[in-house]
Amino acid sequence: MGPYIVKRLLAMIPTLLGVAILIFVLLRIVPGDVVEARFLAQGSQFVSQDLMNEERAKLGLDKPLWQQFTTWFAGLARFDFGVSMWTGGPISEEIKLRFALSLQLAIMASTIATLLAIPLGILAAVKQDTWIDYAVRIFSIAGLATPSFWLGILMILVMLTVFKWIPPMVFTPFWVDPWQNLAQLIWPALAVGYRYSAVGTRMMRSAMLEVLREDYIRTARAKGLWLKLILARHALKNAILPVLTIISLEFAFLLGGLVVTEQVFNLNGLGMLFVEAIARRDYTLTQALVMLVATTFLLVNFFVDIAYAWLDPRIRYR
Amino acid sequence: MTRRFAGLVALAAAALLSTTLQAQSPKNGGELVFPVPSEPPSYDGHREETFGLIHPIAPFYNTLLRVDPNDKSGTKPAPSLAESWTVSPDGLTYTFKLHKGVKFHDGSEMTSKDVKASYDKIIFPPAGVGSSRKGQYADVASIDAPDPMTVVFKLKEKSGSFSTSLLSPYNFIYKADILAKDMHWYEKNIMGTGPFTFVEHVKGSHVVGKKNPNYWDKGKPHLDSFRAIFMRDSAAQVAAVRGERAHIQFRGFSPAERDSIVSSLGSKVTVQESPWDCILMVAINHEKKPFDDKRVRRALSLALDRHQASQTLSKIAIVKAVAGVQVPGTPFATPPEELNKLAGYWTDVEKSRAEARRLLKEAGVADGFQFTFSNRGIPMPYEPLGVWLIDQWRRVGLNVKQEVIEAAAYYTPLRKGDFQVAMDFQCGYIVEPDLDMYKFLSTDRNPANYGRYKDPVLDKLYDEQGRETDPEKRKQIIRQFEKRLLDEEAHYLMTLQWHRIIPHSAKVKGWTVTPSHYLNNTLDTVWLDQ
Repeated sequence: MGPYIVKRLLAMIPTLLGVAILIFVLLRIVPGDVVEARFLAQGSQFVSQDLMNEERAKLGLDKPLWQQFTTWFAGLARFDFGVSMWTGGPISEEIKLRFALSLQLAIMASTIATLLAIPLGILAAVKQDTWIDYAVRIFSIAGLATPSFWLGILMILVMLTVFKWIPPMVFTPFWVDPWQNLAQLIWPALAVGYRYSAVGTRMMRSAMLEVLREDYIRTARAKGLWLKLILARHALKNAILPVLTIISLEFAFLLGGLVVTEQVFNLNGLGMLFVEAIARRDYTLTQALVMLVATTFLLVNFFVDIAYAWLDPRIRYR
Repeated sequence: MTRRFAGLVALAAAALLSTTLQAQSPKNGGELVFPVPSEPPSYDGHREETFGLIHPIAPFYNTLLRVDPNDKSGTKPAPSLAESWTVSPDGLTYTFKLHKGVKFHDGSEMTSKDVKASYDKIIFPPAGVGSSRKGQYADVASIDAPDPMTVVFKLKEKSGSFSTSLLSPYNFIYKADILAKDMHWYEKNIMGTGPFTFVEHVKGSHVVGKKNPNYWDKGKPHLDSFRAIFMRDSAAQVAAVRGERAHIQFRGFSPAERDSIVSSLGSKVTVQESPWDCILMVAINHEKKPFDDKRVRRALSLALDRHQASQTLSKIAIVKAVAGVQVPGTPFATPPEELNKLAGYWTDVEKSRAEARRLLKEAGVADGFQFTFSNRGIPMPYEPLGVWLIDQWRRVGLNVKQEVIEAAAYYTPLRKGDFQVAMDFQCGYIVEPDLDMYKFLSTDRNPANYGRYKDPVLDKLYDEQGRETDPEKRKQIIRQFEKRLLDEEAHYLMTLQWHRIIPHSAKVKGWTVTPSHYLNNTLDTVWLDQ
């Protein structure tokens, strides 16, 4: 197991290097830059070419691409993301500010998704082809068909129309005011959690159905073991593996990918920061965010693989 | 009966007067909450170009002069840090007397040294210090501070617009001692003389300011604090106002958003509207054939039914008035009856389109001629106006393909001249011919002229109107400029003037809409009726 872990960790380096080169090149191919976005987007007529050139030089955009890349990558190797081209502030601070919200939302949404998906998936499998199964299937297919941002808009409209109330607009950390914090985040967490629970429920149901047809389950039942015990001790551990993968990868996605939902609920999270960074051509911030998301995906994948070995003794890594 | 009725009327009038007087007396206290659709990159007003800076940051500062906060036209100068000013008979020297007793938020006194240092930074920035508006003050020769309460601006040439350019809401007065130590300090810090002092800025989230208890304009501000919340999504902004989490959004809403807020809040909302000093124009690339031929350019303008569009598009988009080079209703704007004589402004659209077809034929442009219209990837109002333009051009036999370019990448092809016909945009902080018409100068004088033409006649008219200090004579020169630009040469095409719609909580008082979303954001006069 030890050598496998080291090997997997080392394998992340070329992957991250590839991601770094790819995002650096892609951003430079896209037309426009941060100076244009800053000085021309408002329709001003008095911005001189000299000012634009000065600003580009200040940001190092006048240097050759290889030099820009090596400067950035050398910083990255020292865990120094540099400064945002848009605000001039340290990128680590820009990310830190939004990370708490995005992490909490990802945890809440994943928890809701897990709490819905696993019991519902098991229930649907055990009660296959009964009204309970049909109800769960309708519930999960509706979730698959409903984008979370749309559900979010619907929630806000209902709250506005019926209760004349909308969630708070500014993030308050949980330890400062739990009520305010939950009043803001529970709604997007429900909207996103429901969407992802649908995928998990479908996956859980089919995995459980497959496991329930295995010989060892039949043997356990023939021996007269309680169904609950069979499900908890023998079936769940095997059926949960694909669901675990899905929910874990979704967790990584939720950290930086909830752009529209964040917009709908006006959440100051990493997803919005990502979109704004791209729209403003803030190369350094976009690059840092891509690296952060890529690293999160790699680490989540890595931990899922380790968890596989723990959950399923048949899997051994050498 | 008549006497009784008269008595009732008198009673009602007295009650109304009493209510009005009561309503006009400002109440102190409360926190004004408003969404801001954009966030400033830095805090330095001298450097930035976005209203995202003005809305949350202007309340911390004062400017030398300001636009009268009660003037709906947004053009009337009013004192701010300068309590009075005089202009020398030759029009070359402007002397400003400053208010006494004005203090910065750190307790130090504001003097002419600070005004001079701030304007030196704007007009004569040292190397490495960015100033977006330096070009607006090309006529300024020097700035002097002969005594602590006097500032003197000396001009190289007479200017009809110099005092107006001092109304810029971006020209915050900074502390000279701080600038002397670090010219970039104000990019990351806030410290002014304004009615509010800085509390916090949580990036991506909000800015908070609290009442400056030592504000020099006694009795102001009325609010205890303000909270500007950054909110990009317009649906979220509407929800914030509808849900009464926010009082007002100072930029503007679309007609549909206004209706949604009004239908939800009813009498709890007040709507203020104004023509908006922003306009989408059509840049015609003179370097691409057949657009080098003015007959073709005129035909493109003649094909447009601006009067009908004003009625229909104003129901779905933030546009309304038919306009020339000045915002309708403002001092230098051309009256409608005169404007309607220009090509493309005729009220008889069939006659106009017949003329367009004739000109196209005469220029050798075949029926069904195809060209690409580049539009910016912003829904409001680019999308509806783009669709409208294409439809209008098709009516004179042109076959137009629309190419939508992402907002941030939009100016790259425009600056390179890599387009045929494109949507262009202009937005001003104040209605002033020098600022609004600069766009149309020859490309060697203004690289932001995406029509890529040179027109010495137009340049000369621009300079003449800028030097003219008699408003009536200046108006006449502006008319000539407008006729040449939009009719004779048809260098650029105007679409419709933007229309600013501000539905806000009826509790918000002491704020007047103006044609610019850059104006009236100091919040010193604003109060909450609660």
